[in-house]
Amino acid sequence: ARGVQHTAVRQAHRKHAPNFHDKYGNLVLLGGAAVFTTVWGYVLTQLGMEWGLSPVGRVTPREWRE
Amino acid sequence: MLASRAFSLVGRRSICTSLCLRAHGHAGVVKADDFSLPAYVDRRDVPLPEVAFVRDLSAQQKALKEKEKASWTALSIDEKVELYRMKFNETYAEMNKGTNEWKTVLGGVLFFLGVSGIILIWQKHFMYGPIPHTFSEEWLSAQTKRMLDMRVNPVEGISSQWDFEKNEWKK
Repeated sequence: ARGVQHTAVRQAHRKHAPNFHDKYGNLVLLGGAAVFTTVWGYVLTQLGMEWGLSPVGRVTPREWRE
Repeated sequence: MLASRAFSLVGRRSICTSLCLRAHGHAGVVKADDFSLPAYVDRRDVPLPEVAFVRDLSAQQKALKEKEKASWTALSIDEKVELYRMKFNETYAEMNKGTNEWKTVLGGVLFFLGVSGIILIWQKHFMYGPIPHTFSEEWLSAQTKRMLDMRVNPVEGISSQWDFEKNEWKK
């Protein structure tokens, strides 16, 4: 294992040109996460969708008889 | 024994490869294309590829190959590295190195999931009608009480979640 480390250090100066993922990977990841959180945060809370959540633990029963 | 019999029957000349034919100077014979020759490959399970990486050596590299035929202790570190790089493209460390591809993949996935959320926004704005009155708070609370009074789904469902003694949802 130590020999591999030595070799790796020696070859370290031979860096291959950065590819698309090296250059933009972080940007794409964070950008995608930002788009996702904003859009779905809005959809889930502000849009006014009826999600049909369970009444258990949420709704207080009220007398219904006339 | 069978092989030698086959040889004498068929004759050695016809078992010549296309390269042999070329050497005999026959015009009109197709030169062996690169893809038909043994190829170099960087693979973990092929430690010694069939050919060296660098096929056509420069004069300097040819000189180094001559030097390699003598005692290896005479070679400098850089010469040894050069000989390695002539024979192999990537080291095992370089071959096995991971990439940042997962960032692009995950970012792309999240983005397009966001796009489907935008489709939902469009639908709500342009397509869906008003929410039925049976989803209002007053209606839902009355509906829930009626369901509990009727003991709807008492085994594992809604009535099993309500504490009828304390008049509250079970914790």
